[in-house]
Amino acid sequence: MSTFRIIAGREMKLALRNRSVIITALIFAVWFPVMSGVGIASGAGGDAAVIAGGIAAIVLPVGVFMGYLFCADAFLREKRDGTIETLLCTPVSLRHLWEGKVAGVTVPAYLTTLLSAAVTITAVSTLAGVPVAVGPLLIAHLAIVVPVWIAAAAGLIGAAQLALGMRENQILGFVFIFGFIFIIIGLQGIAPGGAGISPATEGILAAAGAALLVLARFIAGKVTRERIVLTIP
Amino acid sequence: MHDFIRSCGWTRTARRHEGASGVNAVEVRNLSRSFDGRDILSDVSFTVGHGEIFGYLGPNGAGKTTTIRILLGLLAPGAGDVRVLGRDLAADDDARARVGVLFENNGLSDRMSAVDNLTYYAGLYGVDDPAERIDDLLALVGLADRQNDPVGTFSTGMKRRLGIVRAILHRPDIVFFDEPSSGLDPGAQRMVRDLILELSRREEMTVFLNSHHLDEVQRICTSVAILAGGRIRAFDSVAHLTGASDRPVVTIALADRNDSARASETIARLPFVAGCETDGNSLHCTLADPGAAPDLIAALVGAGYRIEEVRRSSRSLEEIYLEYVGRTEGTP
Repeated sequence: MSTFRIIAGREMKLALRNRSVIITALIFAVWFPVMSGVGIASGAGGDAAVIAGGIAAIVLPVGVFMGYLFCADAFLREKRDGTIETLLCTPVSLRHLWEGKVAGVTVPAYLTTLLSAAVTITAVSTLAGVPVAVGPLLIAHLAIVVPVWIAAAAGLIGAAQLALGMRENQILGFVFIFGFIFIIIGLQGIAPGGAGISPATEGILAAAGAALLVLARFIAGKVTRERIVLTIP
Repeated sequence: MHDFIRSCGWTRTARRHEGASGVNAVEVRNLSRSFDGRDILSDVSFTVGHGEIFGYLGPNGAGKTTTIRILLGLLAPGAGDVRVLGRDLAADDDARARVGVLFENNGLSDRMSAVDNLTYYAGLYGVDDPAERIDDLLALVGLADRQNDPVGTFSTGMKRRLGIVRAILHRPDIVFFDEPSSGLDPGAQRMVRDLILELSRREEMTVFLNSHHLDEVQRICTSVAILAGGRIRAFDSVAHLTGASDRPVVTIALADRNDSARASETIARLPFVAGCETDGNSLHCTLADPGAAPDLIAALVGAGYRIEEVRRSSRSLEEIYLEYVGRTEGTP
């Protein structure tokens, strides 16, 4: 088995055993879609494209938040407990360690986001009184755009958590979340097609997500063992 | 005595324990490192031969952990050169597979079972037949019946034993133990000490032991370095430092304090004396020939010196440690 799969598998196992994170993720996966479903149903006026766009717009920030939530367990806890120092002494490169952890964070975050999407679709259908047509664009959004953004968020936040001290991380955690949400809203605003879901919107979001993932990998490559060790509390 | 010990201990230890390839397990040459303009390590040099159990001693803040981190490639040296098994661990991922390490936190996840933790590390190190190896080691440390329990339910001593298993799981050539007895009760300390000793013999590993427990170091280590104020104050075999070696130290107290300097010069000319230091009316003489103490006394008496007391020195490591550390702390 490759070290990538070993590290990713371990992070997934740990995520599933972290009750507080799982409960927080499930509450957020259910509460946030139900609350936002009210707004989508009342604002869409039965327009299927606008409804799909609203759902897509809600699911993406949820995914980013899930990435942040699971990151705290995979990166920050490892640093707070000091176990990262032992991991840095294994014959695994820092980049491989980061990649495995990002994958291990992305999978549970993606699964809870899919649950959240299902709850959102159900809530909007119920509140709008019309069934939501899950078209190919919404499927592409859920299957491609969302996981790429979750991985990008987990990658950037994870790299920052490795590089920064605990106090900076406490402050910057929410800065990252709001930064991501601001980027998402900004991209949706500049994309042609208005509030509805469109190929252009999905293309822009997918490209931006991929660019952020590449940026995250680049930044993670700049983090040094020394930097990590010197910021262990 | 400090300079003498350093000079003779250096070559002796290095020559005796070099591996077949002629490379020491650890080589530190003129290592310096500072943080925020403050010197943590200054011109530190020592070697550890293959198969040795090496004790790295020093007070809090002396730079022990910084040294270990530099050796493990976690921190960059400010100046100087370090090699572990002849390699630079910072730049060589594969070389790290031959090195084990146990930090104070054990490197274990509390939420995973003992066997899951070990399986994870076995995967990272590419251990062949990990299940058998894990079963064998867990039985050895008395944790076989708890292997499926979360590590969070273990006592501190059990976690430390599991941490030791994790550190040697991949059959490393050298293992770094950073304060392995820290936070343990005396019974657990003894268990950990015996475990390190047994495993180092069984697995034929070199052990680098960073410890505050001088009794522990004296019992299990073959050689030591004492670090204080960022500098190596003593580096030699434990036997030689404590006077229980083939170069014993004899302390002679002269009746007249004023004779010390002249007597020291007389002694220095004797062929069976390797070195001599004066301390008030006392002369600390290191013999090149272990059976030469009567000849030394005869030579002094023959030269007209009045001897008040003669004793063969056999000091504890704690006394030696306090002497060096105290000397450093007393120096501005």
